[in-house]
Amino acid sequence: MRTQLFKNNKNKVWIVLFLLPVGLLITAFFVYPIVFLIILSFMEWNGIQPMSFVGLRNFTDIFANSVFQTSIKNNLIWAFSAAFLQIPLALLLALVLTRAPRGWRFFRTAYFLPNVISLVALAMMWSALYNPEFGLVNYLLEVVGLGHLGRNWLGEINTALPALIFSYQIYVGYFMVIILAGTLSIPKEFYEAAVIDGASVLQQEIYITLPAIRGIVVTAGTLAVAFALRQFETTFLMTAGGPANQTPVLGLFMYRRMAGLQYGRAAATGVLLIVLGIVVLSGLQRVFGKSDAVADSQQ
Amino acid sequence: MDTNTVIKDSLNETPFAIVVVANLLKWVLLIGYLSIALFPMLWLGVSSFKTNFEIETSPFALPAVWQFQNYVSAISVSGLHQFFFNSIIVAAIATSFNLLVTSMGSFVIAREKFAMRKTLFTIITAGVLIPIVSFMVPYYTLITRLGIYDTLLALIITYAAINIPISTFLISSFMTSIPKELEDSAEIDGCSFVQRYWNIIMPLSRPGLVTAGTFSFIYCWNEFIYALLLTSSRSARTVQLAIRFFTSQFRTDYAGMFAAIVLTMIPTIAVYIFFHDKIISGLTAGAVKG
Repeated sequence: MRTQLFKNNKNKVWIVLFLLPVGLLITAFFVYPIVFLIILSFMEWNGIQPMSFVGLRNFTDIFANSVFQTSIKNNLIWAFSAAFLQIPLALLLALVLTRAPRGWRFFRTAYFLPNVISLVALAMMWSALYNPEFGLVNYLLEVVGLGHLGRNWLGEINTALPALIFSYQIYVGYFMVIILAGTLSIPKEFYEAAVIDGASVLQQEIYITLPAIRGIVVTAGTLAVAFALRQFETTFLMTAGGPANQTPVLGLFMYRRMAGLQYGRAAATGVLLIVLGIVVLSGLQRVFGKSDAVADSQQ
Repeated sequence: MDTNTVIKDSLNETPFAIVVVANLLKWVLLIGYLSIALFPMLWLGVSSFKTNFEIETSPFALPAVWQFQNYVSAISVSGLHQFFFNSIIVAAIATSFNLLVTSMGSFVIAREKFAMRKTLFTIITAGVLIPIVSFMVPYYTLITRLGIYDTLLALIITYAAINIPISTFLISSFMTSIPKELEDSAEIDGCSFVQRYWNIIMPLSRPGLVTAGTFSFIYCWNEFIYALLLTSSRSARTVQLAIRFFTSQFRTDYAGMFAAIVLTMIPTIAVYIFFHDKIISGLTAGAVKG
């Protein structure tokens, strides 16, 4: 009993010591920023002079700003495209690869590859692809006889945002890998039994696969929407919010407020970005059910 | 395997035309998406070996002569080697620091029993869902107050911290799976707390550490927003920031610019080639962990 107590005491010191570095960094880079952001969103501050309390003025000011309104609309379009473009495509690819066509491992590896390359390098690449003079996109249209459709994709009001969102579809492989993990873990006996009962492939997918992976698809969707909402680099580097302020997102709006030394408004935008994430993601969970990974990580 | 033959049997019962059409659609989808995901990069890679004239006139053809000197001029025009050095320093130190700190924390969370254990794990890993981009103002003021603005140290600390949630998740779930008996017998042999961590649990956790390290390295190499925000001078410039200057440095020398972009992609592609199993298993662990 005495040795037990002694041992515990000795470990207590070590436990605290081992948790100290993580605790310090989490406090400095996650807890403090949230607290600071919330406080600062009610202040006026240019980074030099002392802060002054302005109540809700930062929020009313940015809501009245037309670029902010466009930004929040664009953020929702990005989130929508993640949930209803990226995820269905990822699901479709995962369902096909689950049935192990020839070379499925190669396809899985290849589809994921764009995710390890920087957004900056890929943004430069897409800018070159969309280039009106030598870009591949216009050239391809010409080759198939649709040359009249060729245009300055990133420079025209109607095509800039769709062109950005199209370029983002190369990241589908990330979500496909997650969904594939779910489909590959379904016991094979389920399918064998279904085949004996005379179920077609389509029926197998609808009655066995989809119900089994519902949770994991919601997980993938949660991540896809979360990533799309915090999207910044693609827009910043490919259009910088243009043409005519049609493509900005909240991240870019915040960056510009910061560059203009309007730290209070930048902080208010940051708070709204976090709130928007919570609202959209909990809305998704309400409609489509609980996600697996989030539930797991909160055990 | 089994599923395959079973599925083929079931296909045999459906009309032949449907089987053909379904198969065709399957391959159209697989190859169609392959061309969206990979063809642009392939085009970039091939173009980086062309002359500028070839890039503008025949974007589809292979280069008549492979222009390896594009790569030589890419380095001399952009000064990329200097920024490569910075990026390697940042990625290597931030990843090592991150692994040390999170493995210590994960060891305690996974192997010790104390009251706030689960709460702590939840708080740390919840950081994965926070949009880090919204922390622009707090990180900027924190780094300037620490007096390390415009240094590589600023990026090292920030990147190491940002990766704590994902690393903790990967490493602690791996450490939890190590059988308790190994530690018990080591303790009877007189192993101290630190020895248990360093000599017993750390070597056994290598696969988890490698997975977390891979994710961290790729993140650090590719990070752009905070490199943009927390540094300003050439001496602290990373590769991703350097890419931004390519358009003004290379002007109309697209071949040289493409070669420079390809060079910046090589480290993470190499890591992916060596560790893609780790990356895929890491994502899978996050998704289907029971």
